[in-house]
Amino acid sequence: MTRPLPLAILGALAFAALPLVTASNYLVGVGISALIFTVAAAALNLIYGFTGLLSFAQLGFWGIGGYAAALTVVTFGGSYWMGLVYAGLLSGAVALAIGYPILRTNRHAFVISTLTFALLVALIARDWVDLTRGPLGIPNLPSPEAFGITFDSTHKYYAIAWAFTVAMLAFLYALCSSRIGRTLVAIKQNEPLVRAQGISPMPYKLAAFAISAAITGAAGGVFTFYLRIIDTSFLDFYYMQTFLIIVIIGGAGSFWGVILSGVVLSALPEALRFSADFRMIIYGVILVAAMFIMPTGVAGWVRERRLTSMREQLR
Amino acid sequence: MSAILDVSCLIKAYAGVHALDGVSFGVEAGSITGLIGPNGSGKSTAIDCISGFQKLDGGTVTLGGHDITGKPAHLIARAGLMRTFQTVRVYDRLSLRDNLAIAAQQFDAANWLDEFLRTRRYRDAVEESERRGKKLIELIGLQKYYEAEAGILSYGQKKLVALAAALMPHPKIVVLDEPVAGVNPSRIREIEAALQQLNQAGETFLIVEHNVEFITNLCHRVIVLEQGRKLTEGSAAEIHKDPRVLEAYLGMTPEMAEAEMRGAA
Repeated sequence: MTRPLPLAILGALAFAALPLVTASNYLVGVGISALIFTVAAAALNLIYGFTGLLSFAQLGFWGIGGYAAALTVVTFGGSYWMGLVYAGLLSGAVALAIGYPILRTNRHAFVISTLTFALLVALIARDWVDLTRGPLGIPNLPSPEAFGITFDSTHKYYAIAWAFTVAMLAFLYALCSSRIGRTLVAIKQNEPLVRAQGISPMPYKLAAFAISAAITGAAGGVFTFYLRIIDTSFLDFYYMQTFLIIVIIGGAGSFWGVILSGVVLSALPEALRFSADFRMIIYGVILVAAMFIMPTGVAGWVRERRLTSMREQLR
Repeated sequence: MSAILDVSCLIKAYAGVHALDGVSFGVEAGSITGLIGPNGSGKSTAIDCISGFQKLDGGTVTLGGHDITGKPAHLIARAGLMRTFQTVRVYDRLSLRDNLAIAAQQFDAANWLDEFLRTRRYRDAVEESERRGKKLIELIGLQKYYEAEAGILSYGQKKLVALAAALMPHPKIVVLDEPVAGVNPSRIREIEAALQQLNQAGETFLIVEHNVEFITNLCHRVIVLEQGRKLTEGSAAEIHKDPRVLEAYLGMTPEMAEAEMRGAA
């Protein structure tokens, strides 16, 4: 886990340079999606990959964050920055409230409960028209401002997305590589043993769920201001599916594997644009092939290689 | 000597069948105590209840004078009772170093804030845990696997890792659930020697085991359970001579014991 860090810093700097090397709004937009989706996937990796709890509620938190940020600015007259803070806080608070009861159930019931929660959030977004304006949505979200700069172009907004991504990934990295991260892995692998060692799993699971939710919510807030509109399609299952594919292909439980796969998989559909008719089919074939060759993701594949060589060394 | 672990009148019933029917015994500090009995006699139920993994229907458990009856498993562990499991439990995807470090982390003074700020308290705790881990890994003879994932070890080696992990936080008592079941006979000698050495250094053990030779060699005192009741208690030599024990357990194959159980039920 020591080698990836310098590489990651180089990668982050390379990403920072993207708007400088291209004038294309389209490419910079793809860059923003890649950054934000990677953050959301890394947050899903915390609760699913590290703690072993598959949460579909991420989609709900993504939506809550998006709406919280948009409504803070449009309805309640707050700033964009406060909107992001509320997006994170509200998602985290909701996660604590629903996590406390549903984390007491078993892992399967947890999955179903989180799925139900995501569907419920989508229903509320559609039917609480007074607040969310229903399917019409809230268009023309204003551009954020700071230090006298208005982030009114895709190129300028990219700076916010980049800074947000670096901050969130740095935080997640610190968390995952700490004793807390190690304890989450232990809980995933053998919960009775964790209890026999004096550790209560519940606070750890609840904290992982809430932190994952808060980051996903804030990411939703950043993304909605990039789109400059929020409506019920923000809760489309497409987003959940994207986060989950990134985690599975990257290798659930591997911090760097998921980051790498987030960047590659967000860019891949765009790279395949040379063949407009077949691009989603090619994308699908690549995903299926990846799962055949690397059923435990890229990180799992690397790990198998390492274990094999270690076994040979110890023989 | 005084009893570090004292259990009295344990009662546990499954759907009307008494798995434990008023079992009482004590474990002296600094001793190795064996808990034996035929299949279904309630040994595993007893230690699951003592360690908080199953709810008791009656009775009390005290550890070092403190009542731990009915407390959740993690609080009983924090009170100083560490246990292993019949089907070996280790963290397969973590290194032996991490396996041992996690076992101790709840017991040091460093909290998450200390870790975040890398305080003195945190560095001391990590250093101490590392020192203890290295000492125990040498004791079980697995030094060369210290950095390797526990998943690559054999079943018997994992049992040793589980033992070392249980010892990490300097517990008041270690409860071993069948430490040599399914373990290669040559390795049983090693485990025996390790336990003896640890006991001489002051560790207290309560051991549930089927391997009579192992129990006889190790234990200062043996408690015999039968059908949820304490049949008798004494030194290994006394137990060996007791005709009731011979009849209930030592002279009987598991099949015969099971047939007996069915007859009784």
